[in-house]
Amino acid sequence: MRSLLLLLAAFPAHAQIYDILLKNGHVIDPANHRNERLDVAIVGHTIARVGKDLPPEKARTVVDVSGYYVTPGLIDIHTHFDAEGAWLNLNPDHNALPNGVTTAVDAGSSGADTFENFRRLVIAHSRTRVLAFLNIVAGGMYGPEIENDPKQMNVEKAVAMVNKHRDLIVGIKTAHYQPPDWIAVDNAVKAASLTGTVVMVDFGQKPGRTYQDLILKHMRPGDIHTHFYGRVTPQLDDQKKIQPYMWEARKRGILFDVGHGSGSFWFRIAVPMIQQGFLPDTISTDIHKSSIMLPHATMINVMSKFLNIGMTLEQVIERSTVNPAKAIHRTDLGTLSEGAGADVAVIALENGNFAFLDSGHGKLTATERLRAALTIRNGRIVWDEDGLAATDVSRAGPYSNFR
Amino acid sequence: MFTVILLLLGAQAAAQQYDILLKGGRVLDPANNINTIRDVAIQGNHIARVAAAIPASEARKVLDASGYLVTPGLIDLHFHSYGYSGAIFPDDTALLAGTTTVVDAGGPGYRTFADFKKKIVARCQTRVLALLNIAGGGMVGPSSEDNVADMLPDKTAEVIRNNRDVIVGIKLAHFGKPGWDAIKRAIEAGRLAGVPVMVDQSILTNSGRTSRETLLDIMRPGDMKTHMYNDRQIEIISRFNGKVQDYALEARKRGVLFDMGHGAGSFLWPVATAAARQGFYPDTISTDLHAQSIMIQQSDMPNCISKLMLLGMTLEDAILRSTVNPAKAIHRFPELGTLGEGRSADIAVLALRDGTFAFKDSWGKKKLGTKKLENVLTIRNGRIVYDAEGLAFPEWTKAGNYEVIP
Repeated sequence: MRSLLLLLAAFPAHAQIYDILLKNGHVIDPANHRNERLDVAIVGHTIARVGKDLPPEKARTVVDVSGYYVTPGLIDIHTHFDAEGAWLNLNPDHNALPNGVTTAVDAGSSGADTFENFRRLVIAHSRTRVLAFLNIVAGGMYGPEIENDPKQMNVEKAVAMVNKHRDLIVGIKTAHYQPPDWIAVDNAVKAASLTGTVVMVDFGQKPGRTYQDLILKHMRPGDIHTHFYGRVTPQLDDQKKIQPYMWEARKRGILFDVGHGSGSFWFRIAVPMIQQGFLPDTISTDIHKSSIMLPHATMINVMSKFLNIGMTLEQVIERSTVNPAKAIHRTDLGTLSEGAGADVAVIALENGNFAFLDSGHGKLTATERLRAALTIRNGRIVWDEDGLAATDVSRAGPYSNFR
Repeated sequence: MFTVILLLLGAQAAAQQYDILLKGGRVLDPANNINTIRDVAIQGNHIARVAAAIPASEARKVLDASGYLVTPGLIDLHFHSYGYSGAIFPDDTALLAGTTTVVDAGGPGYRTFADFKKKIVARCQTRVLALLNIAGGGMVGPSSEDNVADMLPDKTAEVIRNNRDVIVGIKLAHFGKPGWDAIKRAIEAGRLAGVPVMVDQSILTNSGRTSRETLLDIMRPGDMKTHMYNDRQIEIISRFNGKVQDYALEARKRGVLFDMGHGAGSFLWPVATAAARQGFYPDTISTDLHAQSIMIQQSDMPNCISKLMLLGMTLEDAILRSTVNPAKAIHRFPELGTLGEGRSADIAVLALRDGTFAFKDSWGKKKLGTKKLENVLTIRNGRIVYDAEGLAFPEWTKAGNYEVIP
């Protein structure tokens, strides 16, 4: 009797029962060059199979996603999160997951002195995968007094912290530094070199520091300049032509990240750049308390803006999944490869009359909009706006006392 | 020359006496019995005029609101921003949803109110009010919420008297022990401070309490029973005959208020459907929004309103119960919850969408509906803080080499 039970218990494993089967969606998975109608099967926390016509009878939960796009969970490499709502930061889960974002990289909110608190108070409680760029400023992103203080730019401390938390820290951030010298950038680069990670830089031109020198001399190939469609980055000349050093830097391997925020994305800059072929390497939000309001710069909205400016859906998804994964050296993410973590976004592409604001509140009237309909994080459905996986109440059985 | 310029400037200012003009929207302002196409003019922080045809030339910024509903900013009577483990920061969600006032339902107690005021109230654009927890330590778990010894009516009433700008009532929450001590102390504090009490208390087996006595003998007219559709906390529908309990009907007649408090456990389709069929709707629509209920249930204010409309409530009625009624419940009417001239310019511009939409209850079960209310623009204290459809701003191609457009 006992062995019979064991056999029965073992049977499902052999039969490869899927926990969740996303049926009939259009998969866009640039890492694997997939762009067609495919089913996605999840077992436990991982992607088990991606293929045509996977058998629904093998799945515990079948979700019909016909008419939707299925992509790897989105990766937003420029976020500001803090569950306590400190300063400008937001709660990660309810600002990431409803936008299809399953991996969010906090961009320097914490430094060597504050990261462990951040890990304990925020990362540990988040369902979203929260990674981090460690601020070269030991005290983190908490105001000009410390962010402009060269004594805060301690390379050894930063290196030690990165090495202690390699599972979560993917690079070094330098931001908001005002003095006319290169201490912040150079120390960030030093810390990144010593740890084999990348640097994200948020500033453009500053007195005593040209943008050209920043992207051609101080930053290394693989380092990321964020906010590059912003007003303070001299990316265009008076004729709105892209400056030659932009192309040169791109050739060197400098990565250009959107980092929309409430100040750094302008249609009057982005549109001419995209028309001249200068697309972002990575799409990201710089999401914080102010940017979610008027520009409403959530990940899915920022992606919608690029779609309406004229990028293809595949280009947009590529720059929101596989590209950011590569940029932070985490190629295990941003893909629907079999065996990868089951982080999935189900996205609706809607037609209608829409409008999007940029950081200057200029409006782009649009005909298409992306909407995150369902999000799976680590094998669990955590967001389901259209109720695709929800049971209709008429078929739910007696779940209350008053059926 | 100088005088001419001054005169011109003066003429300009007189011509454009309004800062913002919402033109052509369907104004739903139950407090003033308005439910028709009206223009709404804002001057500074206040509603200046609501009238049939206010000339566009009289305003600096004109928004075409035709096709949209214009309502007083929504008031969410049951929100969690402090103390509770699932607390969320009001500005993360409220203004995006057209909610301009949230009432924190029992996050702080008399010991923690000052901290709450500093960390939440002072930092928010959303208007944050509070029901002070009768438990001195606030909503931080059983060690505080079951601790009758630290439920002190005198001290609670004193903190209320000193902070009437923020505190509008008292909350009794999650009390899990037997007996009447906790609720009686909450109501005593309410009596001392002259404010209502919101009750969220389990009626457990062996608690020595019943819903009948709670609603008919203990709670006062004007006190609020939240989580009304939670079938584990109050049996509002008889499990035997499916009827709304006589004591619920009688309590309502007495003036006890029933609040929705959706949350992750307190809105169940079977209960709400049975109650709605018998006309037993919430007096006040509220979200009990917290880190869980904001996800699968998506229970923000427009979502809660949409769910009640799916159960047969009219739009007018739903707006009444999301503006006027909550304002009255916390004794803030008519300062809040109306578009009356001279009132704070807190406004929601909403779209009523047609389509097929899934609405999920606290247990994640869905009901499909064909109408969905969605917030598209929010004005808080006279400022446009959210604008999903760009109603207030120009096309970028026509804005030249624009800087930040006000």
